[in-house]
Amino acid sequence: MSDTVPGADRRAERGPVLRKGVGIPASGWFDPRGRALGGFAFSANRVTGLGLVFYLYLHLGVLSLLLRGERSWDDFIRLATSWAFLSLDVVLILGILYHGLNGIRVALVGSGLVADRQRALWWSLGVFGTIALVAAALHIYGSR
Amino acid sequence: MATIRTRPPGSSRGGRPHAPRSAGSWIATTLSGVALLLLLTIHMVANHFVVASVGGLRSYHQVLEYIANPAIFTIEAIFLLFVTVHAMLGLRGVALDLDPSPRAQRWIDVGLITLGLTTIGYGAFLIGTLASRA
Repeated sequence: MSDTVPGADRRAERGPVLRKGVGIPASGWFDPRGRALGGFAFSANRVTGLGLVFYLYLHLGVLSLLLRGERSWDDFIRLATSWAFLSLDVVLILGILYHGLNGIRVALVGSGLVADRQRALWWSLGVFGTIALVAAALHIYGSR
Repeated sequence: MATIRTRPPGSSRGGRPHAPRSAGSWIATTLSGVALLLLLTIHMVANHFVVASVGGLRSYHQVLEYIANPAIFTIEAIFLLFVTVHAMLGLRGVALDLDPSPRAQRWIDVGLITLGLTTIGYGAFLIGTLASRA
């Protein structure tokens, strides 16, 4: 028997973050260090998901202005058509596209339909998403 | 001699039974997500391309007329239902990753069901009130 801890040499190497214990660490998903593509995609999916939940309630709050009448809504629309606000819309579309397209990838891989093509799916959906984002940005800024 | 303690699979830090995200929850999240993709596409196209000449719905009266359309009202109501269910399932997944105790998990479930029902209730009140003002 050895007096050294098994794996001590490997733990001393620089590289992916290693830790003790079983499975993904609690709250470790938002730490992107040393993650492979799948881990990064998972973390980004969680971050965009939380952002979209925040937006859901923000959207309900904004639509509540309609209850206060025409003047409140028109004041908001003047703000919403500014460049800064429209840029936030583009960020929103980025979040929606990433979360939606990655969700398709996770559903296809997780259901076993294309379990061995997750990297190819990530990149192909990424290209599609980028094109869609550019088109959406042009539409958003063009509608001003 | 060094002793290494590892947690046995299926257990958590406090020795409590670990409750992994169930297959049912994954399927519900996936199915609601697929439905959302369709509903969100309809929602975005209807909101931002239908009234193309002005770049989408903008004025107060445009929005009220839009939501008062029975087909649009139904689609928006279904969209509200699915987006809320999907959001609550997502929040639950994040919360369960923090490895809560079974007692905390029950509180999380109760809290998310309450939040979800409140969201759906308020959203239904909102679109119902706006449709009635058209």
